[in-house]
Order: sequence, then structure tokens, then C-alpha cells
Amino acid sequence: MARKAPRSQEKIVDIEIVAKALAKAVSEGDFVNFCLLFHPASPAREDSPERFETDKYAYLLPDDALEADPRFRESLAVVRRVETRAYIAAELRANRPARLPSALLLPLADNALRLGKYTSAAQAYELLRIRGRMQDELFRQADAALDGHDIAGGVRGYVAATGLAYNYAAFPEPLPAVADFERRALMLHGNYPETPEDCIGLQETGALLRTALSYLLLDPAAAARLEPRPEDIRVAFLRELVAKRDPDWPAFAVRFREAVAMADEFGDRPAGEGAPEGESTGTLAAEIEQQLRADPTRIMAHLVGRELAHAEWWQYLKELAYKHPPAPLFVARQTVGDVEILAPRARPDSPVTRTLGLSWQAGLDA
Amino acid sequence: MVDDGYVNYFEILGVAEQAKPGEVRKTYRRKMKDLVLEIARVEITEERRAHYLLEMAKLNAGLCLLRDVARRNAYWEERNELMGLEQEWREADVKGADTDALRRAFDAKLRDFLSKYVEELMLDAGRDKECVEASHWDAAHERHASRILRHYRQGLHQKILERLPYAEVTPPKIDWDERRRVIAGIVAAKGD
Repeated sequence: MARKAPRSQEKIVDIEIVAKALAKAVSEGDFVNFCLLFHPASPAREDSPERFETDKYAYLLPDDALEADPRFRESLAVVRRVETRAYIAAELRANRPARLPSALLLPLADNALRLGKYTSAAQAYELLRIRGRMQDELFRQADAALDGHDIAGGVRGYVAATGLAYNYAAFPEPLPAVADFERRALMLHGNYPETPEDCIGLQETGALLRTALSYLLLDPAAAARLEPRPEDIRVAFLRELVAKRDPDWPAFAVRFREAVAMADEFGDRPAGEGAPEGESTGTLAAEIEQQLRADPTRIMAHLVGRELAHAEWWQYLKELAYKHPPAPLFVARQTVGDVEILAPRARPDSPVTRTLGLSWQAGLDA
Repeated sequence: MVDDGYVNYFEILGVAEQAKPGEVRKTYRRKMKDLVLEIARVEITEERRAHYLLEMAKLNAGLCLLRDVARRNAYWEERNELMGLEQEWREADVKGADTDALRRAFDAKLRDFLSKYVEELMLDAGRDKECVEASHWDAAHERHASRILRHYRQGLHQKILERLPYAEVTPPKIDWDERRRVIAGIVAAKGD
């Protein structure tokens, strides 16, 4: 039997502070903080030793800027409704796990969805048992937006719908699916490419679009919905999706084009010049200089934007996928001498390469 | 009593509750042969592989369970007991009684039932000599199937939970016209 927490005689919780903390969680779509406020060890409970006044719970309370925010004020008005307030007070007094008020959980989920906090939204909708239907409706409206050539709207709808996906096979409890590109990128490059066609960036446009959309939407079924649409729509969709997944994409595109030039330069070297243990004549300084200059790992360091100490290709790949989720689609593993690197791989004439600003041939960029 | 979600191996194999072990074996072999022929006819995609693995695992589990009378009776008894418990909880909830203990008991039994008769049974059946002979199930199938079976088990769990009274939250009032407006606002990026 669980031990009952000793009731603190002098502790009185101001319900107005609780209302503000709840309104903050609702307006910010924060499912974790919302649940914490109803937890047995919550500072909102009078029988808990935790207190709002301590520094460690300051993050639960709104600051002045948030108090002036219309969404916060709207949430506060919902929390302050007489019946909601009475329900909250009763649940915080009850000596059992609280039943969360759906009147607050629904706006919390909507705000989370608006703010792109999909894990939070998925968990809240799942508790309300409307997650699947919300997903279906998002897909339906996103498809309607694409039918009306509203690509940005379509992408927003697809990203939100796939963000609500739940992994029922998760163990031991089902969990929201997460955008784990670092892990997915490794799976994408699990096999060493034997032919040029094995490199995703070198595939023909249809296959490249299929792989790219499936990888970036995190859901092959959602990508399959886009399959019947014309190629130009899917290319435009991919461009919007890349911009949404990686706001810093233009910086990567610049580094990608420079890395292509570096790879070309490296490929043009006379045989043996790039070998790390190559026979070299002259002074030690000249030998070191030659080795540094010829180090092929510089190519992947340039793609990532920094050098990782003693790192293998897959460590670079993970960082690349974390910083620029779409980037792993345009690199491939390449063995140079006795090291394996990531090299840039794309077809300069492909509409995908051009539209994403990766084409290194003058006049081909969109 | 509602039985949707409580895996029914009589239905999966298509045999009567009184079917003798010989009849169970005969039906299993016919169904497995049809399935193997169908798999040979179609092009295997990722989605189809998952579907066929699950179908195969269900038939294998059905054979292992129903050919053994004692095991079959224990399974059927547990299943009926669980459905009775669900019914009891629902009735208590309608009456407004405290259902916390009933809910906990049901939840524990449901998890136990689904683990035992979906995941564990299906994986065990894949190692049974008779099943291996008929379905050619091997270690590679088992590797692929573990995730698919977990998914299937959670899907059944979800199907049952969705019709049960709300326990963790108060019953929500959902207005789907309002929901559509919220979604339209998100797709149109209004209020960001």
C-alpha cells in the first residue's frame, strides 16, 4: 500500500497561481507541465511539500510578456470558468490519481499542434481518443490545399498529420513517433553503395522523390498519398518540406556546392598523392602539409560545417542529419584509400537538385 | 458481451468451438497452403510482407492453441472472464459507482491476455515443428515478426480501450465542425 504523504499544515496554495500555471501550460501546448501540475508531488497540491514560491518551479509560472499574450489570456479565461476551477480544486484535493480536465486538454492539444509541438499534441489527442481522426482530417484538408495548388498549406497539413503519428509497437507503452533523423539517416546509408544508382541523390527523379518524401515525412504511407500527383507538384512539395524541416538549408546548399568542388579537386589528384601513408619526399613540413591538403575527410567536415575529432563517416552523418535533416539524401559513402568518407552526390541536371539550390553548374539553379 | 479486440483463434482458423484436434490440423494445413500459394503469386512489398507474416503467425498460433484441448479451454475461459470484467466495469460506470479497482483489474488482465495469446503464443508457434513444416517459418521470419506482432497487440489493445469509459480524462465534448475549423486554421497558418 502506498504511503500517504504527510499533510503540511501551514501550506495554502493560491488557486490563482495554479490557474496561471495551468493557463501557461495550455497556451504553450505543454503536456508534460500540465500533467505535472496534477501529479501527487505537484506544487499545486496542498498535501505536497513542493512549493510554487521556490526557484525550481519558477518555470511553471508565466512571465510578464506571456501574461500579455492573447493566447495566454484566452487560456486563463478557460481555466477561470467557475465549473473548471471547481473541478481543478476538487481533483487537486482528491487522494487518487487526477482525471485531467478535457476542457483544458483540448485547447492544450490545439495550441501544441499550432506551435509544432507534435509529441505533446499527439499525447493529448490520444488521451482524448481523437488522435486518429484529427490525423485523417489534417490529411484531408492538406490534400484539398494541394488540389488548390497551395503547396505551403499542403506541406503544413502533411507535417502536422505525420507529427501526430503514434508508435503502437513501442515497448512497453505506445509512444508518439518522433523526428529522429539521426537514426533514420544511418538506416538510409546502412549499405555501402555498389553502383551509382544506389546513391539516393543519383537516382532518377521519381525514385529520389519517393525516398526523399518518405524520409522527410517520417511516414511511407503519407508519402504514398502524394505519389499520384504530378512530378512538378511533388518537387515543389519537397522544396517546401525541406525549407520547413531545415530553415538553415541555404547555408548547407552553399557548403554542398563547395564540397562538390573539393571532391572534384581530390579526384583529379595523381594517384598516391592523397594516400595518408603515401611515400613522400622532401622535408617533414612538406610531408605534413601534403597529407593535410590531401585528407579526404575534409570533404565531409566541410559538408557538416566543422571538423569532428577522430570521427568516422557515420558520426559525421549523424551530425549532418541533426543539423540539416534533408542533407543525408544528397551524400553517399565513399572509400578513399583506407578511409571511408561521406561525399556529395547529386545529379546537376535533376529538377530536385536545381530546385533545392544544390546544382553546381552555372545557370542551373532555380 | 462485446468481443471485438479479444483475439479469437476459432474465428481465425474458421473452426467451430467443438472442433476436434484432427479437424483443427486439417483446416490449418488447408489455410496455410492457400496462404503460401498466395504469397508465391504476388510481388512482395514491405506492406505485404508485414501482412503475410501476421497472417502466418495467426494461423500458426491458432494451430498450437486449438489442437491442445486443455490449453484451448484455458484460453477460452480467460477470454470469457476478461469480457465479463469489461462488461462489469461498463455497467458500474453507467451506474456511477467507483470503478477504479475494476479498471485496474481489467487493465492488468487485458495486458496479460494480449501478451500471452498474441505476442508470446505467436512467436512460440513459429518454433513448433508442425508449424515450421507447413509455413517454413524461420529465424528471419521471427526477427521481422516481433515488431509486427507488437504492433498488432497494441492495435487490439487500442481497439478495446477506445470503447471503454474514460478513466484518465473527463469525457470530452467534441464538436467536429469546430475541429475542422481548427485544422483549417493550421493548414492556412492562421494564428501562428
